[in-house]
Amino acid sequence: MLVLTRKVHQSIIVGDDIEIVVLDVRGEQVRLGIKAPKDVVVHRKEVYEQIQEENRRSAGVNPEDLPG
Amino acid sequence: MQLDNTRFGTIEYQDGDVVTLPEGMVGFPQWTRFVLVQTREGSPFRWLQSVEDPSLAFLLADPSAYCPEYAPEVPDAAARALALTEETPCLLLVTAAIPRGRPEDMTLNLAAPVVINLKTRVGAQVILENEAYTMKHRVFEQAPQTASTKAA
Repeated sequence: MLVLTRKVHQSIIVGDDIEIVVLDVRGEQVRLGIKAPKDVVVHRKEVYEQIQEENRRSAGVNPEDLPG
Repeated sequence: MQLDNTRFGTIEYQDGDVVTLPEGMVGFPQWTRFVLVQTREGSPFRWLQSVEDPSLAFLLADPSAYCPEYAPEVPDAAARALALTEETPCLLLVTAAIPRGRPEDMTLNLAAPVVINLKTRVGAQVILENEAYTMKHRVFEQAPQTASTKAA
C-alpha cells in the first residue's frame, strides 16, 4: 500500500483523472473531496462490503426456501 | 446450449438469453455472464444464474411484488453506462436473502438494485445515492413471540 501524508487542502491524484482532496480534519474525522469522471464509482468501503455480504447471502439461498 | 450441475439441475439456454454484467455483481467482478431463471410461473423471483460457474446463482426478486412504493432513481452515470433512456425497456430487480429454512425472515437489498437494459441485455448492480434505502428490508412482519405462539 502506498502511504502518503497530507495536510488539509493538499491532494492526491490517482491515475490521470481522479483527485482526492483533504478538505478538513476535525478530531477523528477527515473530510475528503473526490473529483472523478462521472463514470467512476466511488463509495464508502463499508457500503461496498455490506452489499457484497448481501450478495453472498442471496447466492447461498436454498431454492426450497422460496416463499409462496 | 446446456449448463449442467446448477442447483436446478441442467439448464438449456440460447445465446440470446444471456445477460451480461460487465462489472459483475458487487464483490464478484469476475463473473459477468448470466441467464435469468424463473423456477415458478408467476413468481416474482428470478435467479441470476452464472453461465460461467454453475454453482453460482443470485436470488433476485421483482421489488414491486413486495414494495410497491419502491421507486429508485437510477443515478445518471449508471443510466448512461447502460444506455438507458426513458423509453428503453428495462428490468429492475433486487437481491433477496433467505436464511436457511426461514422464508419468513427474507430481506431485500433495496440500496443496490440490479438494472438490466432489455434491448442490449447488459446490466449492472447499481449502488443508489439515496442512502435512505436499506440493504436489509424485511418483507414479512416479524411475528410477536410469546410462549404460546412460538412455533415448535
